[in-house]
Amino acid sequence: MAGGGLVIDGRARAAAWRSPAAWVTGLYALYLVLPILLLVLGSFGNTWSNTLLPNGFTGRWYLQVINDPSFTRAFWTSLTVCVATVAGCVVIGAPLAYAVSSAASRGVKLAARIVYLLPIAAPAVVIGFGYLLLFSSEATPWLGATWLIIAGHIVFCLPYMLQTVVNDMRLLGLSQLEQAAESLGASFPRRFVDIVLPSLKHSLAAGSITVAALSIGEFQLTNLIAGFANRTYPIVLLQAFYGATGFACAATVVLLLLALTASASSAFTAKGASGTARAGA
Amino acid sequence: MSVRLENVSFTYPGTPVGVEDVSLTIDPGEFVAVIGPSGCGKTTVLKLIAGFLSPDRGRILLGGQDATTLPTRRRELGIVFQNYALFPHMSVAENVAYPLKLRGVSADERRRRALAAVETVGLAAFAGRRPPQLSGGQQQRVALARALVFAPKALLLDEPLSALDAARRVEMRDEIRRLQQAHGIATLHITHDQEEALSMADKVVVMAQGRILQAGTPSEIYERPVNRTVAAFVGQANLWTGRVRDARQVETPIGRLSADLSGYRPGDEVCVLVRPERVAPGPAPDGINQFSGTIARDRFLGSMRRFDLSVGGGTVTVETKETSRIDTIHIAETSIQILPLDAEQNASETRKS
Repeated sequence: MAGGGLVIDGRARAAAWRSPAAWVTGLYALYLVLPILLLVLGSFGNTWSNTLLPNGFTGRWYLQVINDPSFTRAFWTSLTVCVATVAGCVVIGAPLAYAVSSAASRGVKLAARIVYLLPIAAPAVVIGFGYLLLFSSEATPWLGATWLIIAGHIVFCLPYMLQTVVNDMRLLGLSQLEQAAESLGASFPRRFVDIVLPSLKHSLAAGSITVAALSIGEFQLTNLIAGFANRTYPIVLLQAFYGATGFACAATVVLLLLALTASASSAFTAKGASGTARAGA
Repeated sequence: MSVRLENVSFTYPGTPVGVEDVSLTIDPGEFVAVIGPSGCGKTTVLKLIAGFLSPDRGRILLGGQDATTLPTRRRELGIVFQNYALFPHMSVAENVAYPLKLRGVSADERRRRALAAVETVGLAAFAGRRPPQLSGGQQQRVALARALVFAPKALLLDEPLSALDAARRVEMRDEIRRLQQAHGIATLHITHDQEEALSMADKVVVMAQGRILQAGTPSEIYERPVNRTVAAFVGQANLWTGRVRDARQVETPIGRLSADLSGYRPGDEVCVLVRPERVAPGPAPDGINQFSGTIARDRFLGSMRRFDLSVGGGTVTVETKETSRIDTIHIAETSIQILPLDAEQNASETRKS
């Protein structure tokens, strides 16, 4: 039986390699990975000008990035903003998603949907310009404050969190689970903690990955509201492109690592946080 | 404890759909099944008792106490949902222990009671599993255990068997009935399956278009339906629209039938009901109500045979154990019931469920 399975498996694999879909997928993956590979290569290359690949091997670009105070400061600002944005999106997103999906009236649902889709539809530069006008007056001189960047990022990222969570609520049949819990005697806060949050563990984690990645990479909005003292990593990174290629590559690879770490850890944290909510069931 | 609805009406906002003037009593230990076609309001009745909906008019009493405005979580009702509604992130034992946890039962005690409840539904070996790892029937047993573990005032079952395959469904009927009797609990069972209702319930309530048409024991509902809709919905039925000739005879599509028509006037339109098993194969000894025709369809159903005989301008559906060729049948006068025509008079002549 096992032998037969292997033969079929082998045939299936051979057939997969002949299919156009496999080729398209493969080429697209290459197209995605190639720039990243070149970045990594470039970040370790000694010199790189007018050749296909860089010459020599060095770690000095990374040392330069680490020793550049504007980069390290931006690194920590980005990390702070990212963590706070993810936390904000989870804390605001879970109840809001619940409110949207359990709203009885169709009108309320539509209104909520429009409100939370607006930041996706409106270009970030539009929102950013609005912030610029709003927070540069003498009465509201908060442009450049970290909390304002965080607030901006939450507005920008929340729709993506909501989209994920609201869809999952429907798929999970959460309203019926809640009715069941209610019939068993659970009050609203108990239901939310015991049933809603643990059920949404995976969608909150998935939403957090998206939010973290968006927040780390966000440029348009932040560029307008960050000011000079408190810039995030992508904005400082733009400067690097005017300098040596190796330095720019190293600085970009650092951003990539930052984004990957932030996404991964935010996913674990969101999952863990909603998991502990029902400890000792 | 008892459950009682007094003249309850409810309309879904912005629609004409709902229930109208529903009165219903479930006595302690009684098993009441509510049946009716989709959209007849039977699930609305359950939601009103559960407190998921509040009536526009009327009262709901639980154990004699007015519970009309009581929130769901204070009603102490065990509810089993069509799709089980087990908490996917909790094990079987945790699911069953959850209502006890909400009632402040200590961890040891609730574990002991939950495991005992899981054992009564035959799932002791699965106590540590998560619901998605169980079959539909097993999940339904867990849902039952969870709904009963906290000794609720009544049990509400919302089409609990409709998601199961046919074999499992029949098995679960007995299981539900066994648990219900063991707990001696007032039970409301919502179903669209009339056979399920007749075989399980002490009392059957037939609903259509938001109203109760008839309530009675299964045999009352089957033997003495109050109108055509009830007759058509419960069991197999020959239903002919007839015109009264005189106190002894009625004109139907299959021909003239002798029957007791006292109380009707000549010219009245009536509904004539004959259950298929009450039609006798072969000629009548006295020749009364004897008809001949050709078999239009013949079905072998294992323990019996059901065939349609084309007679005149109509069809007679017959159930019999007789396997030989039949072209003549007769209907005893005592097997004929005359019902008033009702709103659904335009429905098909013979209903086959």
